Amino acid sequence: MFPWVHEFRWELGHLIFTGGFAMVLVVVLTGITVAFRKVYEVYKKNTVDKILWEATFEDLPTISRSCRHAISGVFKERTCNNLFDCRECAVHAQLVRNKIPEKVFQKAGHDGDAEIFGLAIPLDRMYHRGHTWVKQDEDGNYLVGIDDFAKRLVGKPEEIVFPQIGNRLYANGRGWIMKRGKTDVRILSPVDGEVIETGDSEKGWYLKIKPAENNQNTNHLMKNGVEIKAWFMKELERLQFALATDQVGASLADGGVLTDDLPKSNPDADWDGVYGEIFLEP
Amino acid sequence: MDKKLIVRGVTRMEFKKFITYLIPWFILLGIGLYAMYLVFRYGLNHTNMDNRFAFGLWIYFDLAIIALGAGAFFTGLLLYVFKRHEFKSVINSAVVIGFICYSGAIAALVVDVGQPLRAWFTLYRPNAHSMLAEVTFCLSLYLTVLAVEYVPIVMKNRKLKQLPSFLVFEFKLHKVMPLLAGVGALLSFFHQGSLGGMFGVLNGQPFAFRETVLVFPSTFFLFVLSAIAAGPSFILLTTWLVSKISGKRLVTKDVLMSLGKISGILLIIYVFFKSIDSLVWLNKTSPAVGFSAADHYGFAPFGIWILSLEIILLGLVPGLILINKKLRARTSWLLTGAVLACAGVALNRFVTTIQTLSLPTLPFADFLTYTPTWEETAIFLMVIAYGVILYSFSFRYLPLFPQERELHTK
Repeated sequence: MFPWVHEFRWELGHLIFTGGFAMVLVVVLTGITVAFRKVYEVYKKNTVDKILWEATFEDLPTISRSCRHAISGVFKERTCNNLFDCRECAVHAQLVRNKIPEKVFQKAGHDGDAEIFGLAIPLDRMYHRGHTWVKQDEDGNYLVGIDDFAKRLVGKPEEIVFPQIGNRLYANGRGWIMKRGKTDVRILSPVDGEVIETGDSEKGWYLKIKPAENNQNTNHLMKNGVEIKAWFMKELERLQFALATDQVGASLADGGVLTDDLPKSNPDADWDGVYGEIFLEP
Repeated sequence: MDKKLIVRGVTRMEFKKFITYLIPWFILLGIGLYAMYLVFRYGLNHTNMDNRFAFGLWIYFDLAIIALGAGAFFTGLLLYVFKRHEFKSVINSAVVIGFICYSGAIAALVVDVGQPLRAWFTLYRPNAHSMLAEVTFCLSLYLTVLAVEYVPIVMKNRKLKQLPSFLVFEFKLHKVMPLLAGVGALLSFFHQGSLGGMFGVLNGQPFAFRETVLVFPSTFFLFVLSAIAAGPSFILLTTWLVSKISGKRLVTKDVLMSLGKISGILLIIYVFFKSIDSLVWLNKTSPAVGFSAADHYGFAPFGIWILSLEIILLGLVPGLILINKKLRARTSWLLTGAVLACAGVALNRFVTTIQTLSLPTLPFADFLTYTPTWEETAIFLMVIAYGVILYSFSFRYLPLFPQERELHTK
């Protein structure tokens, strides 16, 4: 059925048959080639972290992808479709322009609390959905740490794997890894920039980052106490779901507080699954 | 190590239990492989097929699983082309089932052709006038498409996706899925149709021969329609079955109900056309060559009951059950409808393959009977065992049901 096979004849039937087969084959091969080509471009342009986050974000359950404005009460319900990157979100920009979040926060009647269910929430810093915070140091660089919620979840990590000094990090890209038990907990970087120093839990921060010159926008981070408090409440709810077993369901006692080292207090829980859920790495 | 491969946040049975559960299936696989060796080594005389009964258990089984496997391309079409996003929760499982059905069918065909080493002849020097040539081309290409669709699911394995390049490739390959889904639908349309058309053009077999509609015999369209009607029901059934066996909630009820509804609507359309086709065949096509209904349905066990069973109990009844919202909402009715729909398409393929060849077509010919040998049965069971094993591993180590993690706490 190919022109070089002696039975082949230049007739309509033979041409349709060969052409159809060739067309389908070309389409399938082109699809695969395009995929390879795109992968090559990703590595060439060094946008691996961006793609990894996109791939990860797609797999997040709906409950983990709630829009921050749905959590704070601006919307009744809304799922983020913008990779948690409010810097490039048209809806976020419009809300801020119209000062709608501000009105909602004022309506709450308080500035937010510095503590919620025993969790410290210092309001002198900005919070990222991956449970990191960012604080501008006196020298203009960013200090990056994990919030109290994450601290209690990871407890005392056996090892921390930092990126090398000089490495470029991207917001929502891979930040550093904390090893607890048999699990590697991947912490997302909250900002774009270059790693200039690494810290530890004693210092209270883990990375010092020199902000990227071309992208110092922090619109994707939460700054208002009311919003941060609402988000922490939502995260406690997510934790309950993540800790729930098939038989019992979500059952964290009302009014309880998280212990300093949750894996130690509850060693039988599926911590690997919980870390995946809370640190946005399904 | 085993736990590190299981999808994060979901639980699976202990590894030892898993292996114990698979042992019987591996035994079946082993027996089938031995039977396969015998057929390859000593030839098709290890089967009870002959020159007159050239299609047996294997071809029947191929036709049935290819029809049921249509759920893969049809679900892909609904999700990627018609943007029915609710089917995202079953698409991975549907692709695996499709891959199993098609690769299993091709494995059985490899044994059936008797000279598997010459299988490539059908691609290199096909008979352009044969429906089977089209089937060969479309099946080979569609299996390739299914394999390409399977790759991103495998790459979503927890360990594999830790390799950034794998995850990036998976992500980019996933972006071309709508294209592959479209191509898959086109290929499926033609090979399902050609399988039906192959029987419809047998003018020496009045039981199968049909009138022509737009170049093709009517069975071409009926095979396509019945496959896409039963395919979603098969996905519904397998999802429910896996959910019951594993004790997990895998998808929300509305997804199963949507699959049931689509199946129901298509079944009703199929039954309508099948009824017209049967009436035309019994009153015009068949009498024109000297065969009355009694000639087709006068040989036990193939009485007129088999036609009524196929059209009414396994066609119209499940169609009515599945299009009824109240009935569909009740799991027992939903499952009954889906089981009947799948049984209907399986019976249709059985009748088309076996009854066609059993009935005498000449005055001096006898009614033929055929019983598969143990080798034929073993190879048939081997394909089922292969499917169970591959699906079990996929369910254990791959994210077949993305909603599962979210649902286990609700």
